[in-house]
Amino acid sequence: MSNLPDIILSNKSKIKFAMSLCARCSMCAPSCFLYRANNGDPTYMPSYKMLNSIGLIFKKKGNLSDNDLENIKNIVWEKCVLCTRCYCSLGIDIPYLISLARDFCRQKGVYKTYDN
Amino acid sequence: MIKVKRKKFDEIIDCIDRYNNILNVGCGGCASVCLGGGQKEVGILNEELRLYYEKKGEKKDIDAYTVERACNEKCFLDLPNVIEKGNYDAIITMCCSAGTQLIAEKFNKIPVYPAVDTIAIGIDRDIGLYEEKCRACGHCVIGYTGGICPITRCAKSLFNGPCGGTNKGMCEVNPNIPCAWYEIYNRLKEQNRLEDIKKIHPPVDWKNQIQRTVVQYGYEERYVNMDV
Repeated sequence: MSNLPDIILSNKSKIKFAMSLCARCSMCAPSCFLYRANNGDPTYMPSYKMLNSIGLIFKKKGNLSDNDLENIKNIVWEKCVLCTRCYCSLGIDIPYLISLARDFCRQKGVYKTYDN
Repeated sequence: MIKVKRKKFDEIIDCIDRYNNILNVGCGGCASVCLGGGQKEVGILNEELRLYYEKKGEKKDIDAYTVERACNEKCFLDLPNVIEKGNYDAIITMCCSAGTQLIAEKFNKIPVYPAVDTIAIGIDRDIGLYEEKCRACGHCVIGYTGGICPITRCAKSLFNGPCGGTNKGMCEVNPNIPCAWYEIYNRLKEQNRLEDIKKIHPPVDWKNQIQRTVVQYGYEERYVNMDV
């Protein structure tokens, strides 16, 4: 059963299109300053972050375990600052899709806090 | 980053008292980092408001939504839908003034009230402890002043050396405030570049200040038709 919020359902075609369009070409990697700052750690690649956040949420129809949510939280907050500077040569709007993943996490009460 | 601080509870009440259906919008950017207006702080304020009105015997619906970045419309995400469905009488924001103004511009049929004061561009000294470092004057001279901003740190925002009120390293305005120019002098001396303090800078032209727009190098052509 789908457990996806409205904001994700209304972007369904966009997400689906992005998931199928992403060729894992890694062209987006150098546009991420965190990827460069972390010696090319592939988990900082914008495509990796997109596929393993909103991609996973979409694939599992929003039915995620606590562990999944924690992993996504780590990706979309610790490995992305949402500077919106990443680019995709095929035109995928990666920052928007990552922000959708953040919104999903927020609605589940999982988000980054700065007081601990 | 920008630092915000929640307004006094009475002031927030004064703004929203006449409305019954209110949305509190937080920001996941700077306001969240400085513990002034993230999702957590929005929840805390809403809970305080709920208890206040419950005690008063008044029924108010106060919802919450946190955008990822209030200063970027692209990061509003579901906010337009939330506002449309909620049919709110008013919006309170826990974003900086820039974000609040963008929300007020985007949803200009609904009154928007900031629930936080935008205090400074500053640094994080510790959790919950922030210090102003920049006033965004648009005429940065810290390259000549040893990385210490005289606009922010000097009580008179002097550009060219201390006034006559500097006293044993402290400011005449308040003896507990260090004199910025005393610190500038010491730092330049340590770095063996005291000649920089002698470079005279014209005063900032504060008159007729207009709203600034930033177009970065390389983007001039894209925004060539904009009157900036």
